[in-house]
Amino acid sequence: MNTDDDVKQKDPSRAVVIAISHDAVFDLKEEQEPKAPAAASGVLNPGPGFPFVKAVQRVNEKLVEKNPNETLLFDVILLSSKDRPKSQSEVANSIKHYGLEITRLCFCNNENFTSVLRSNKVKLFLSTNTDYITKAQDTGVPAALLYGQRGTATLDQLRVLFIGDSLGFSEDTTDRPKDEDTGEDQLQSVQLTQSSLEDLVALIGEMRRKFGRENSPLCACLMTVCSPRNVCVRALKRLRAWGLEVDEAFCLAGAPQSRLLAHIQPHILYDHGLQYTLDVPALS
Amino acid sequence: MSLDSRQAVATHDGRADASVAANGDSKGSWGDTEDSYGHSGPVNKPKSPKPENAVTIAVSSRVLFRTETEQKVFEERGVEEYLKYQVEHENEPFAPGPAFPFVKALETVNSQLRELYPDSEELFDIVLVTYNHAHVGVRLINTINYHNLFIERFCMTGGSSPIGYLKAYHTNLYLSADAEKVREALAEGIAAATMFTPEKLIEVSDTQLRVAFDGDAVLFSDESERIFKTHGLDKFFEHEKEHENKLLDHGPLKGFLEALGKLQKKFYEKGHRLDCPIRTYLVTARSAASSGIRALKTLRAWGLETDEALFLAGAPKGPMLEKIRPHIYFDDQMFHVEGAAEMGTIAAHVPYGIAQKHPHKKDSSKSK
Repeated sequence: MNTDDDVKQKDPSRAVVIAISHDAVFDLKEEQEPKAPAAASGVLNPGPGFPFVKAVQRVNEKLVEKNPNETLLFDVILLSSKDRPKSQSEVANSIKHYGLEITRLCFCNNENFTSVLRSNKVKLFLSTNTDYITKAQDTGVPAALLYGQRGTATLDQLRVLFIGDSLGFSEDTTDRPKDEDTGEDQLQSVQLTQSSLEDLVALIGEMRRKFGRENSPLCACLMTVCSPRNVCVRALKRLRAWGLEVDEAFCLAGAPQSRLLAHIQPHILYDHGLQYTLDVPALS
Repeated sequence: MSLDSRQAVATHDGRADASVAANGDSKGSWGDTEDSYGHSGPVNKPKSPKPENAVTIAVSSRVLFRTETEQKVFEERGVEEYLKYQVEHENEPFAPGPAFPFVKALETVNSQLRELYPDSEELFDIVLVTYNHAHVGVRLINTINYHNLFIERFCMTGGSSPIGYLKAYHTNLYLSADAEKVREALAEGIAAATMFTPEKLIEVSDTQLRVAFDGDAVLFSDESERIFKTHGLDKFFEHEKEHENKLLDHGPLKGFLEALGKLQKKFYEKGHRLDCPIRTYLVTARSAASSGIRALKTLRAWGLETDEALFLAGAPKGPMLEKIRPHIYFDDQMFHVEGAAEMGTIAAHVPYGIAQKHPHKKDSSKSK
């Protein structure tokens, strides 16, 4: 694990650690024609997760502005594959070049990345790869999809979207749709992630409260995709009970998701099991 | 044909089953009436239609319900206090606002359309679009439950402009209390109107949806109105006579009349022409014998019609509207909207065209 000496390390007891795969932050497509000329030699072009990192940085800045001794901050770490030494130095260079506030670079591979998540006390894992997201969720780490077309996401405000269809079901798990695979393992993983999700939501809620209603650098949204309005209201109340008052809420009741998502432009989309995000366009 | 408003519900084998009365004796409970789709419960709600098939009406919270008290809190004490107030009163339903009778009438039409065409998605779809923060969401949905409204889709934008969302939902008509938002919507090609809460409200039909339209700058463009404003009445008459056979250009509400016409045809096809639950009216200051001809010819050429056309030749619209009792009346001139509202008609202002720059002076009631 490499720590970047130039970036101040966060207080581990309070920081909200977010792990993001380096190939989501930077454009690493060496095999194909580069989409745009490199920013400088040895520096990579921004990838789909780049706006997210910048937006998180702005939240931290604003938090520190309010309280220079603030310990409740986002702590972004990068997960990097061991296999490509060339890209490792490019990643380090690029982080410096863009002034990204990334405290650690962790090396792992496909098999052990979930244990890396646990050892780093990661509260949220972000990826554009739905398999990795599901894998992380299965081991109890909340994981979300990085959303967004390049160049359109805002850098000024971190926008987090929760898909509430499963949040809005009542505690009794017999409530869930019968066609979902409700094996014992599945139920256990849902319950496991549920408590970590609660923690994450509480922390985001706490951060959100430090800002006013308007001009907040952090914005939380809720969307229910195919459930009726009362499920959406239950999800609102549940998030509230966990400590987060969302700013924006959308109940689609079956209306197509993608047009609305394109307008909402969240940076990250949290949907347990990725059951309700079938409409989302592929990212890379 | 049944006259009471019931929501007809299709069961699994396709037969229509009458369910709870739409505005039944017991006001809905706070709790949930059911879980997600597909689960059998005491009430099986019909599924919302796909936006591209339906006639989507977006209403804001301030026109669907009466929120004057809360507005005052917002204006006097700011957004934080306002949100606190809303959350504190979360379990108190709002009273119906000016758009409420219109929405109820749309639901009545829907239930009859479902009876006649159980598999069709050509229905009205009502969406709540508000730039309120989601904090207010719980109170709004509680109110919707309380009044037993069939509104399954909503959009709470937390302060940002709802216009983009209107487009994403294929909105056919947007009703709001905020003239600025309405103007924005019109500029994006979405039919929209500003509604006001009248002092008194006369009773409207609960069996037939009635929609009344002004002609110039509502169904038609404001081209003729421009002539009138710039060159006066005589020039206007001359111009209209000369161009009698030239179609007027379309106005912002033409599309909505068209959508209503399509649904009307569905009733006609099932033998309900005389007792069609949708009725449309043209209420214009034009004269039947002269300038009105161009209006009628234009409508005909568009393949549209209104059930009744009232040419007032400049007479005040209030008394006529009071007889018609529409669920909503669209006019581009605030003078007419206010006049109608004074007599209890639910009137909506379409802030489009030349009349916005040259408002009608109260003493010059000329015949057109």
